[in-house]
Amino acid sequence: MKLIRVRPSGQERTFGADELIVTKTDPRGILTYANDVFLRLSALDEDEAIGQPHNLIRHPDMPRAVFKLLWDTLRQQREIFAYVVNLAADGAHYWVFAHVTPSFDETGRVVGYHSNRRVPSRAAIAAADDLYGVLRAAERRHDRAQDAVAAGHDTLQRVLAERGRTYDELVWDISTGGRR
Amino acid sequence: MKARPETVDAAALDEAVRLVTEVCERACNGDLEARVPVISGSERAARIRIAINGLLDHVDAFVRESGAASAAAAEGRFHRRFLTQGLDGAYRAAAEQITHSNQVMSRTAAQFADAARARQALADELESAVLTVSEQVATAATEMGRSANGLADFARVAVADAERGLGTVSSLRTSSDEIRHAVDLINQVAAQTRLLALNATIEAARAGSAGRGFGVVANEVKNLANETSASSEEIMSQVNTVQQSAADAIGVLEAVTNRIREMSVLVEGIAQAVDGGHQIEDVGLSQLAEVLRAEVSRFVSTIRAS
Repeated sequence: MKLIRVRPSGQERTFGADELIVTKTDPRGILTYANDVFLRLSALDEDEAIGQPHNLIRHPDMPRAVFKLLWDTLRQQREIFAYVVNLAADGAHYWVFAHVTPSFDETGRVVGYHSNRRVPSRAAIAAADDLYGVLRAAERRHDRAQDAVAAGHDTLQRVLAERGRTYDELVWDISTGGRR
Repeated sequence: MKARPETVDAAALDEAVRLVTEVCERACNGDLEARVPVISGSERAARIRIAINGLLDHVDAFVRESGAASAAAAEGRFHRRFLTQGLDGAYRAAAEQITHSNQVMSRTAAQFADAARARQALADELESAVLTVSEQVATAATEMGRSANGLADFARVAVADAERGLGTVSSLRTSSDEIRHAVDLINQVAAQTRLLALNATIEAARAGSAGRGFGVVANEVKNLANETSASSEEIMSQVNTVQQSAADAIGVLEAVTNRIREMSVLVEGIAQAVDGGHQIEDVGLSQLAEVLRAEVSRFVSTIRAS
């Protein structure tokens, strides 16, 4: 089933601090489970979500470099945190603080990925939005996808080098509102 | 075709019980990937499904958070804390306990890091102090070596001067011997003159009044001879004094020369201690300072690496 690209409406949706958005995918990123909070925020029915690639809810404002970093980290079987803006099927968007981890079977083999998402603070959203604006600007100067990813990645590394932080540390700096 | 609602509901509930039981059994065995799939046809079955899946999601989240947060703390990534958001009640209480434990670990790690930094600083200070000391010792050793060489030269010159002094005093002794010889000769002449004067006086007496004038002259000659003899005695006494003084001077000069020679040996000892001797194991002060510096460098490197 081929989905028509949804046009962002600019309308923001949010969710409760006590709620968790949960999805599971197989190793290729195909959705195998989505909880009720995910379906509500994404304005999707369960049968519209399950079996679809996770980039079903990808928002055009998300820099490509962030997803590359996410997949590179997961392939090393490590957890990753990221601020992500998602696009609902009705054009609304919602910001999440995503924590993505590999799922292992008893033999230690990766059987899929699991994502828990929590609602971020306004300050964290503002900081992430600023950072992604910078990365997007770098990526949009390139036509080829791989050049864009490389440009976004370089820009991210430069920002981190200037601040003397790792990506992980930067994400946690934002999440604690600079409380350190 | 449409079945009657209560029949559908009962069948759906049976199916829900079967699926929920299966998923719970898997979850009991630690498989948190399992979720209850869609159960159509019953509102109550759908609610049970959401409740069970919600429970599993929270257990899953707690398990993932506790594993990851502990692993991060063990790796020293203390910025990664336990995310308690979305977890309530007992989950949150346990999460806060884990967070507290990680903070304690973080403090301990920080103390270790402080101790390591203090050790590094100590190593730096030690190295710098030893470097300064060894440089100063090397400078002092060079200075001492130069002074010792100067002293040795000085001692050589002093010995040569004293030897020249000995020569001078010895020649004085020879000269006084010659003087004594000359005075002996004068004494002999004076004695013969006195004898001559006596004979002249006798001859004058025999001549009577004609020899009176001659007798006066003979008496004068005798007086001159006596005076000459007295002066000679005086000169001999002076010469003896000079000779005694020259012997004393020779003794003193010889003693001084011996002292300076002994001092030269001591100065040579100092020079050897500073510059090292001719044997390979006879290392000097400069080399010792270098050995000390090298040893401390090795020690400090070990401390820095540990």
